[in-house]
Parts: sequence; structure tokens; C-alpha cells
Amino acid sequence: MASAYYEFYRGSSIGMALTDSLDELITSGAITPQLAMKVLQQFDKSLADIMVKQVKTKTTLKGHLHTYRLCDDVWTFIVKNPTFKMESNEQVSAPKIKIVACKNGDAIEAGKK
Amino acid sequence: MSFALQSRQVGFGRSAHPAQTQYQQSQPQPYQQSQPQPQQANAGLALPYPSNPYLPGPSGLALPGPAPVYPSQPQPTQQAQPAQSQQQAQQQQSHSPTATQTNATAGPSSPPSTIPATPAPLTLEQQHITAVDGIVPTLQNIVATVNLDCRLDLKTIALHARNAEYNPKRFAAVIMRIRDPKTTALIFASGKMVVTGAKSEDDSRLASRKYARIVQKLGFDAKFSEFKIQNIVGSCDVKFPIRLEGLAYSHGQFSSYEPELFPGLIYRMIKPKVVLLIFVSGKIVLTGAKVREEIYTAFNTIYTVLVEFRKP
Repeated sequence: MASAYYEFYRGSSIGMALTDSLDELITSGAITPQLAMKVLQQFDKSLADIMVKQVKTKTTLKGHLHTYRLCDDVWTFIVKNPTFKMESNEQVSAPKIKIVACKNGDAIEAGKK
Repeated sequence: MSFALQSRQVGFGRSAHPAQTQYQQSQPQPYQQSQPQPQQANAGLALPYPSNPYLPGPSGLALPGPAPVYPSQPQPTQQAQPAQSQQQAQQQQSHSPTATQTNATAGPSSPPSTIPATPAPLTLEQQHITAVDGIVPTLQNIVATVNLDCRLDLKTIALHARNAEYNPKRFAAVIMRIRDPKTTALIFASGKMVVTGAKSEDDSRLASRKYARIVQKLGFDAKFSEFKIQNIVGSCDVKFPIRLEGLAYSHGQFSSYEPELFPGLIYRMIKPKVVLLIFVSGKIVLTGAKVREEIYTAFNTIYTVLVEFRKP
């Protein structure tokens, strides 16, 4: 069941912080590595759910689509010179970004049926 | 491995060029023939010549008329030299039909000056045929197939190539695109590939080679074999409205016109075997051709018919 969730949020800053903390706890002997794995799997699941259910913030972006890829239900886009328009009318730009888009938990289940 | 790839790469560069030039030399003849034919039937064969002889200038001013010029023209063998160089010069710009178009428009504009000089003046119908050359169908799409002659692991391709889509639940091929020439390829596990979207035969071939190269670079032993153009689509505008009912009625055996199903008339020409979609507006789509000439011939053929059914 836990494997149904992508692990890529572990690479986000919050995921990295969690991994670091768990490492520390393991080295100090406070928790077992197995427990740490369980925590990380729960993190994958929780973050996926939260992203779907609670994050309502939107942004629009414009840029030059340099590369796209669809494989294993994961879209990857590399966009050059994107400009993001935030809801607060704030504009952010970058030379190049990579967007990784996955199906959320429900969609994965739906896809399997 | 790297050696094999390298030698192949060189092959790519070399073989592309002869094919191209060969094609270019043979290219203009057929559809230019269609222009002189109605004017002068006996000159038909000896004219791989661009339309320059028909320019209003020489025939109207310096020369007594085009007719004496042609019999005195050397036979094709001698003529080949200037004709070729002219063609090649013209080819550089002329791949796009627009160039041929500008070249060809010289024809129809000449009648006012040439008619008095020409021994056999053009009949009304012949003028229409020459006028066809003012409108040259634009190629819109070319579909070609290639056999890479090597089993492919599509997932590897989808993971490593750029601009690739692979969703085996939907479609059993990798869909890959390149920007230049702007085309799309469907790459199948069997090693067969379909390349669509090119606007010229050369682009289609070049794009196919590029896809083959991409697959090679991913570590497959892909060859470039059995390249074949399967379909050519062209379109143009005759710039006058057409009575489709009348056309459908008098050309019933070729036409299918069901305005409730589709607003255009579907005309299945037998020779050349080309299907035409003819719209009231005068816009025409020609499809089903394997070579560019079939598009041009089909258009020239239909144009004379369309003129009859011009809306008053």
C-alpha cells in the first residue's frame, strides 16, 4: 500500500529536514532504521494527501517548453525562462525549471482499475 | 559500438546529399510540363525547362514569337546543361511551392502580349489550364514509414530521449517530436517508425534520419531502411466559389457530397489516384498521393472541372 506513493517529496526541503532528523535519531540510537522507514513512508502518504486536499494555492506560468517526457505516468517538463504569476500578483522568474507531475493517490487507484 | 555508430553517422551525411540533388533535378519537370503542354504539344518532352521561355519579355519584345524558338531548340541532351543549372539555381529557393509559384505566374500573365505573336492562340480552355499554374497546391503534410530493422525497448527510449511520450495503456508506441524539421514520429517496438508532419519530401527524409539517429544514440542497432513516403497532402485555394451540387451531379461516379455529414465534396479521382475535398469556398484539399506530381496533376485536372462549376 505504502508503495503506491511517490517518494519524490523526500527531496523537498521539508523532506530533507525530516530525513536528517531521522538520521540523527538513528545514530543516537533513539529509533530503529525500520521505524525511520515507516515514518518516511507515512511522510510520502501524508504529503501526497495534503497536496491534494489542503493546498489550494495556484500559480500560472509561462515559458518555453524545452523538453517534455511521459513515462510510467510521470510527466517531466523542462521549461526555459518561465515566469510565474502568483495569486498575490507577484511575479517570479527563473532561467530554467523542471516540473515533475505525477498522479495523486486516488488517480493511481483509478488507473489500476 | 562507437565505431559502428560513427561510420553510420558519416553515411547519413553522405547519402542524404545525392538523394537530394537527384530528387531536385528530376523534380520540376513533371509539373512544369503541364504548363507548356496545352500551348504547344510537340514541345512537351523537350521541356524540362523552367517557364522562362514563357516570360512576356522575350516573346513579346525581342523574338518574333515563341513558336520558332522551340523547333530550333537543341534536343534534350544538349539542352540538359543549361536546364539543369537553371533548375538547381532555382531549386535552392524553390523547394517551397511559393518559389515555383512566382516562377509560374509568369505564364498566365503573358497571354495579352503573346497571343498576337503566337501562331496558335490559346483557346479559352487552354488559358484556364495555364492559369492553373498561378495556383500551385501547397504541401501540408507528408507521412513516411521507416524500418529501423531492430527490436526496440520503448521504455528505455521514453526514459532517455527528449520530447517522448510513452503510455502503453493508451498506445503501443513512443510518440517523439523534434523541432527541426517540425515533425512527430511514432516508434514501435518492432523497430518500425512512422514520421508525420513534414512539409516536403526532403524534410520528411531528414526528420526520419534524425529519429533513427536518436534511437541509435540510445544504444540500439538501428538502421535506416525502407524509407517510403506513404501519403502527401496538399491544399490550395482557387479563389472562386463552387457549385458543389452541380459537380456532384455531373461527376457522380467520382463524387460523394453529403452536406449533412460533411460540408465538402469528396472527389475520388482515379488517375492520379488522389482524393480531393472540395469546398464551396473554393478551398481544396488533396490527399492520398505518393509523389508530389500526383498532387499537381490532380489539381490541374480538377481545376478545369471546377471552372465549369464556378458559382455565378
